Amino acid sequence: MTFFNPAALSFLGLVPVIVLLYLLKLRRRQVTVSTLLFWQRVLKEHRRRALFQKLRQLLSLLLHLLIFLLMVLALARPQFNRLLQNGSSVVLILDSRARMQAVQPDGETSFIKAKRILSSYLRQAGPQDSMVILSLNGSVEVATGFTNDETGLRKTLAGLQPSDAACDLAPAVQFANELLASRTGDKRIVLVTDRAQPDNPSTPGIQVSVIPTGTPLDNVAITSFAARPLPNSPQTSQVLLELRNFSAKHQRGNAEVYLDDNLLDVRPFDLNPDGRHLEIFQVLPPSTGDTKGWLTARLDTKDALPLDNEAFAALPARTPTHILLVTRENWFLEKALSADNWVQFELLAPESFRPEMASHFDAVILDDYLPDNFSLATAAGNFLFIKKTPFTDTEGIIEQPPVTDSDSTSPLLRLLKLQDVTFLRASKLRLPDAPGEWRFNVPLRSFESPLVITGARGNQRLAAFAFDVTESDLPLKIAFPLLISNTLQWLTGEQPVSATNLHTGQTMALAPGETIETEPRTSGSQATALRPISLAHTSFSPTKNGFYLLRHGNQNAWIAVNTASETESDLRFKATALQAPAHSFISSFSSLPFLLATAWPLWMLFALAAFALFTLEWWLFHRRHTE
Amino acid sequence: METDPSPLFDSGFLSKLEQLHLLSKRIFRGQQRAERRSHQTGSSLEFADYRNYTHGDDLRTIDWNIYGRLDRLFVKLFEEEQDLHIHFLIDTSASMRWTAPLSNSRTDTHATKFNQARRIAASLAYIGLANLDRVNLYYFDSDLRNDMGISRGKSQFHKVLDFLKRAPHRNSATRLLPSLRSFAQRVKRRGLVFVLSDLFDPTGYEEALSLLRFNQFEAHVVQILDPAELQPDLFGDLQLVDSETGLTFDVTSDRTLLEQYQSGIHAFLESVQAFCLRHQIGYAQALASVPFEDLVLRVLREKRLVKS
Repeated sequence: MTFFNPAALSFLGLVPVIVLLYLLKLRRRQVTVSTLLFWQRVLKEHRRRALFQKLRQLLSLLLHLLIFLLMVLALARPQFNRLLQNGSSVVLILDSRARMQAVQPDGETSFIKAKRILSSYLRQAGPQDSMVILSLNGSVEVATGFTNDETGLRKTLAGLQPSDAACDLAPAVQFANELLASRTGDKRIVLVTDRAQPDNPSTPGIQVSVIPTGTPLDNVAITSFAARPLPNSPQTSQVLLELRNFSAKHQRGNAEVYLDDNLLDVRPFDLNPDGRHLEIFQVLPPSTGDTKGWLTARLDTKDALPLDNEAFAALPARTPTHILLVTRENWFLEKALSADNWVQFELLAPESFRPEMASHFDAVILDDYLPDNFSLATAAGNFLFIKKTPFTDTEGIIEQPPVTDSDSTSPLLRLLKLQDVTFLRASKLRLPDAPGEWRFNVPLRSFESPLVITGARGNQRLAAFAFDVTESDLPLKIAFPLLISNTLQWLTGEQPVSATNLHTGQTMALAPGETIETEPRTSGSQATALRPISLAHTSFSPTKNGFYLLRHGNQNAWIAVNTASETESDLRFKATALQAPAHSFISSFSSLPFLLATAWPLWMLFALAAFALFTLEWWLFHRRHTE
Repeated sequence: METDPSPLFDSGFLSKLEQLHLLSKRIFRGQQRAERRSHQTGSSLEFADYRNYTHGDDLRTIDWNIYGRLDRLFVKLFEEEQDLHIHFLIDTSASMRWTAPLSNSRTDTHATKFNQARRIAASLAYIGLANLDRVNLYYFDSDLRNDMGISRGKSQFHKVLDFLKRAPHRNSATRLLPSLRSFAQRVKRRGLVFVLSDLFDPTGYEEALSLLRFNQFEAHVVQILDPAELQPDLFGDLQLVDSETGLTFDVTSDRTLLEQYQSGIHAFLESVQAFCLRHQIGYAQALASVPFEDLVLRVLREKRLVKS
C-alpha cells in the first residue's frame, strides 16, 4: 500500500498522548459505600462479569487507538500498490436512451438516478486513476476523454441529457473495451442502465459492472406513426397510427391527431393487456399553400414515459409546377390553372413562343396553337395540345362527338366522368403510323375517333385534346379543373414525395447542397420563430423527436423524427446488478451495496470505519446515564 | 454526614410508650420487685403453691386449714414480681453512620442508621424503665465500648438520653463476635439483649448471635438498613470506598450489576432472618427512612417485642 500523504502518518506520534489522556480519563468517580461485602460478592459469583470489568477498560482503550489509527490512515490517503503501479482506467457508460426518461414512482427519472450513481464513482478519479464517460444516446458518444480531473468529470456528467433515441448496449461496451485495450493497469467498465442486454463477449482482463437503476413500470406508447401519398391519389395521404399497451392492465384513452397544431381527428382506443391497436386513415390536406404538413399524434393517457405518447409525421411534400400557357386568351384555362396553388403558370402569346422555351417549364400548354414545323421526333419538353395537335387529321371535324369510351384507369381521367360532357365539335385525330419511341394511348374516344391522346417517350410526355374547351360545356363542370390538374400532373410526372420519417439515432446521409437544422421543432410557433440555426451538412443523426427542416436550394422539406421503438417503450423489465469476472460481459452476481462500496476511495472507507467504531465505542462505554 | 433533621425524641411519643409493655419469653431472677410476674415464689399476696414444712420456715405461712384436714403441715408459697435486665447493644461502627449522599435522584433526607438505632434504643429503654426493668446501653464496633450503667425507673431516662447523645465517633469496623463475647463476659445477670446493628461484619454474625443464646440471653436483633443499601443509585465507572476499612473497589455499574447486587443483599437479609428464626432469636428489619413512630409501633408490635 502506498500513501499519497505520508506526512499524515506523523500523527501516530500522538498515540502515547492518547494513552495518557485515556489513563487520566480512567480516574473513576469515588463513592463511599457502607460496605463492599455485597459488591465483591457479586463480582466473585459472576466471574465472567468480573473478567469483563477488568478487560472493558482495555477494550475501550484499544478501540480508541484503532479509531485514531483509521483516521490517520484516512488522512494519509492510502492506495493499493497494484493500482498505483500502472494506475487504473475506468469507463463509465451512462445509458441515455429514451427509456431512461421514464419517471419512477418517487418522481425522479431513471436518468437522474443513473447520473447520481455515476457521480459517486467520480470520487475515485485521482493521480493514478483515469476515467472516461460515454453516453449512449442512439450512438456511443464520448462525453469526455480519459482524465483524472474529478471536477471536470463532474461538470461533464452534470451537462449530459437524455436522448429520445433507441439503440443497443453492446456497441457501447464494445467501444469501451476498445478504449481500454491500449490502457495499462486496472481496467474496469461501469454501466448504469435500467435494462441489461444478453451476454456479449468482451475483452479478457476488463471487469464489467452493471448497475441497475429504476423499477419495472407500465406504459402505453405510440410505436408507429407515418404518412404516405395514396398511389392513385397523390393529393391524399394515408396515415398509419399504431399503439401498444406494455402493461398487464386494460388501457383506454384517445389518440388526438393534429395537422399543423389544428385538431384533425380523435381516435379512441381500448387496449388489452400487452395489446396492440392499429389505425389507418386518410388525410386530405388543405389546398392552401402555407400548410406545413405537420401531423402530430398525442395520447391523452398519463404514464411513466411521456416521450412515446407523442409522435410526429410529415405529409408528403409537393413542389409547385411551372407551366407555360401559350394562348391568345382563354379565361377558362387561366382560371383552372389559378385554382391550383401548386401550379405557377406564365402566359405567352403564340407568336412569341419558341420551342426551346419548353425546356424551362415543367409543361407547356398550347391552346389552339401548334408551332410551325413542330415535330414530335425533335420536340423537347412536355406539351398539352388543345384543339390543334400534332395528331390532327386533315380529314376534318367531328360534329358533336359523344364520349363513347373512357379509360378510367388513365391518370388523366382519374375521378372523372366525361360521358355527360357536350362537345360542339372536335378535331379528328389520328395516331402516327411511325410512333418511333413514343408510346401513345387513347383514354377518351368518340366511337373510333380519339378525343384525347396521351404519349410518353422516356421522361417526356404529351397530351392532346381534340376539342376546344370553349366549344364545350366542359369548363362549366367540376371535371374541367380536375382534367387540367390530372393532365398537368401526368405531364410533369409529379408524384408527391413521401415524407421522410426517421427514428431518433438513425443516421441519414445528406446529398451535396443539402443542409438540415439540427434542432427539432414540435409546434407551429417554433416553425416560424427566429432562432439561431445550427446546420448539418454531410449527415444527420437526430437524438430528439420532432420536425427538422431540410433545405436543398430553394426547396424545403420537413423530416419527422420519432423514437417509435417497442424496446424503449417496454419498461417492464429491470436490469440486475452484476459484477462480471474479467472474462465475460455479464455473469456471476454481486449486490448493489457492494458495487457502490467499491466506488468509494480507500481513505473514505477508513474514515467511515473510524466513525462506525467511534459509534460502537460510545454505545458500549458512554451510553449509560451517569451522575 | 448525618442528615436527620428531626429531634431525637419528643414528648408526644413518650406518652404513647406508656401503654407498651415488653413481652419477655422468660422471666429471669430479679433482685427487686418490677412490674412483671416471675415464676419465682416470693412474698407477694398472690398464692402460688404449697410445700412441706421444714424446720425454720415462717410459721405465718403454714396453711392451718390443710393441717386441720390432713394433719400435715404445708407452707403456702406466693408469686414474686421480678425486675428484668434489658441490654441494648448499639453498633456505632462507620457503616452505621453512613448514609447515601444527596443526588439528582435522591433528594429526601432521613435518619442515619445510627440515629435510628439510638431512637429505637431510647424507645425500648424508656419502656423498660417505665416497667421498672433494669436497663443498660452499650456501644460496640470492633469491640464492646462504654456502657451507660444499669438504671431503673423512669427518672433515670435522662441518663439514657445523655448517653445516647454522647456517642463515640470512631469510624471503626463492625466486629460482632469480639463485641458480644466481651458483653457476655462482662454481664453476669441474664435478660433481654437487643442488638441494634446492620450486621455488616465480614467475619459473619452467626457465631456472635449464637454466643448470646449460649450465654442464656434472650436475644433480639433489630437490623437497621439504609434504603440506598437496598437499591443503590450508582451507575458508571466508579471506585467504591468501604466506609469502615477504607478499601477501594473499582466497578462499572449498570443495571445488570445492580440487579445482581440487590439479589445478593436480599439473600443476605433472608439468611439473617432464617438464622434468627431457627435459633429463636427475635428479628426485625428496620429501614432508616421509615418514620420512627411507625417503626416502633408497627414493626415491634408485629414482632411481639412489645404489647399494649
